[in-house]
Amino acid sequence: MEHSLIVSLNNETVFTSDQHWLHPLFELEDFLNRNSILPVELFLRDKIAGKAAACLIVFLGIRRCHIELLSERAIPVFKANGIEFTYDNLVDHIQCRTEDLITDTMSIADAYLFLRKRAGRVQGLAVKLGDVTVRIGGTLIVDQLNLELGRGEQLIVHGANGTGKTTLLRAILGLTPCEGSIRIGDFVVGGADWKKQRSSIAYVHQESMKSNFPISAGEVVQIGLGTSRMSGTETEYRVELAMRRTGCFHLFKQAYSTLSGGEKQRVSLARCLCQNAGVFLLDEPTSFLDPQGKEDLLNLLDELSRNEAPTMILVSHEQQWIEQLNWISRELKGGKLC
Amino acid sequence: MLELLSLTPILKGLIVLALAGVTFPITGVYLFRLNLLPLRFMLMHGAILGGAMALALQINPFWTTIAVNLVLVVFMARSSRSMKIDAGQISTFFMVISISLAFIFIYKFNVPAKDTLTLLWGNLFILSWAEVIGVGSFAVFLAGFQFYFRHQLRALFFDREIAYTSGIDEGKLYYAVVFLVAITVALAMKLIGALLLDAILLLPPVIASFHARSLKGMILGSAMWGGIFSIGGFLLSIAIDIPASSSIAALASVVFIVMYLMRRK
Repeated sequence: MEHSLIVSLNNETVFTSDQHWLHPLFELEDFLNRNSILPVELFLRDKIAGKAAACLIVFLGIRRCHIELLSERAIPVFKANGIEFTYDNLVDHIQCRTEDLITDTMSIADAYLFLRKRAGRVQGLAVKLGDVTVRIGGTLIVDQLNLELGRGEQLIVHGANGTGKTTLLRAILGLTPCEGSIRIGDFVVGGADWKKQRSSIAYVHQESMKSNFPISAGEVVQIGLGTSRMSGTETEYRVELAMRRTGCFHLFKQAYSTLSGGEKQRVSLARCLCQNAGVFLLDEPTSFLDPQGKEDLLNLLDELSRNEAPTMILVSHEQQWIEQLNWISRELKGGKLC
Repeated sequence: MLELLSLTPILKGLIVLALAGVTFPITGVYLFRLNLLPLRFMLMHGAILGGAMALALQINPFWTTIAVNLVLVVFMARSSRSMKIDAGQISTFFMVISISLAFIFIYKFNVPAKDTLTLLWGNLFILSWAEVIGVGSFAVFLAGFQFYFRHQLRALFFDREIAYTSGIDEGKLYYAVVFLVAITVALAMKLIGALLLDAILLLPPVIASFHARSLKGMILGSAMWGGIFSIGGFLLSIAIDIPASSSIAALASVVFIVMYLMRRK
């Protein structure tokens, strides 16, 4: 077999890949998304497959496959999901760290998201804070804080009012001067190239919620496009896509000031998606929401973390809501994350 | 009335007022959206300082008032940034310092205070062709600026921090807006005077905001009302023989009251 992955439909090859690791399967996912081919009708031939590849094959909807070198750990995944499989050689495990990281408690969807993040196929960018210190008017607000978030990871920062949660977000944005270093992906916040890269962080804060500026919901989402020069059609497409994604396209022409708190949050998140930002910073997003609005936001954030998977840092003091979100949560106390 | 329009000073006045009426309210929208109303007072006092300096040094007051206002804006912007004080607040200091400097010039150079204070009510009919072209060019530039930067301005007016995070150079845009406001105030003072300049600067956007649902609506509405007030007021002033600035302000005030009452209903 000359290619690492060959996919055929009715004995005719429709897709091949020479990439390594799990990349051929992710390329196949792109191929399937571009073409209207039913994955159940495909036959897949792969050189090596372990548990991670098995999870991906199941997730893509492939039902039949032949693997040249198969890990025993993949077999339960295939059997549990009714995959017809054959192989040339069977080994108890393959030398791949990823296979060890897929636990039995992970669902196929969880495993897929984990693998996407590991493959770097998420919108999120890594965030790294090193010894970040913020003083405002001589008062120490953030004290030598260190934080590392991988691509597409989420974090809740909670704590009492006045502990510096918003200040921390503003420092990450480059709005509040600080000591130490903040890296977003490959760029240093406040560094030489930062001006061109700062749209990689999207910000949702409460001041804009109170705005009475005459602007439609669609125009708010369009702000996410920043200084990008594109045709009117392209602009409309990007805005519509983002608004449909967060379920607020029906509000397109409605005045922003007349929207409910929950609708404004949907519009704000659509703006972040339109911005194509790798990091979302959300400052007390539940402040103006009723219980139903909070529930809707919870579901929307959960969905975003599974699909586009931007890296998200959410600041909140609503303990009950935070627990429902089920993200990693750390308290900001005395200028440090506990 | 047509006979009067054949007189060059009257014709120049009408041309300039029409251009200013349609475009100057754009900066009124900027003033409201960026909460820069205190800045307007600084610029008005700056224009008086410019007038005093021009009379003292016997130079052109039109260009001097513009230059002084631009210098004031530069100082205001630099100190606002370095001292981390709101531009509106720091402008109060510059307002006081400029009026005090104006009186020093008036006293030391024996400038007739009455001449300086003519700036308070402006004079539309003593414009040179160079000044007419100057106002016209600025009006075109202002409209072009608004059109070219409409998306960035919309973001800036919606939320400055969100504009920043979406990649817009909101700092430069903000100061560009402040510069344009400075020039507009200096020109409007020359045309209809300090006391009545709000009639073409602020009342049109206020009335437009009653019905506008977007920045585009605000700008177009302001331009329309500004045009109606300036041209209508000018023609009214000729028809009933009252000062143009007063008739513009009176017309704007009547329309404001009518629109306000209609809005309440």
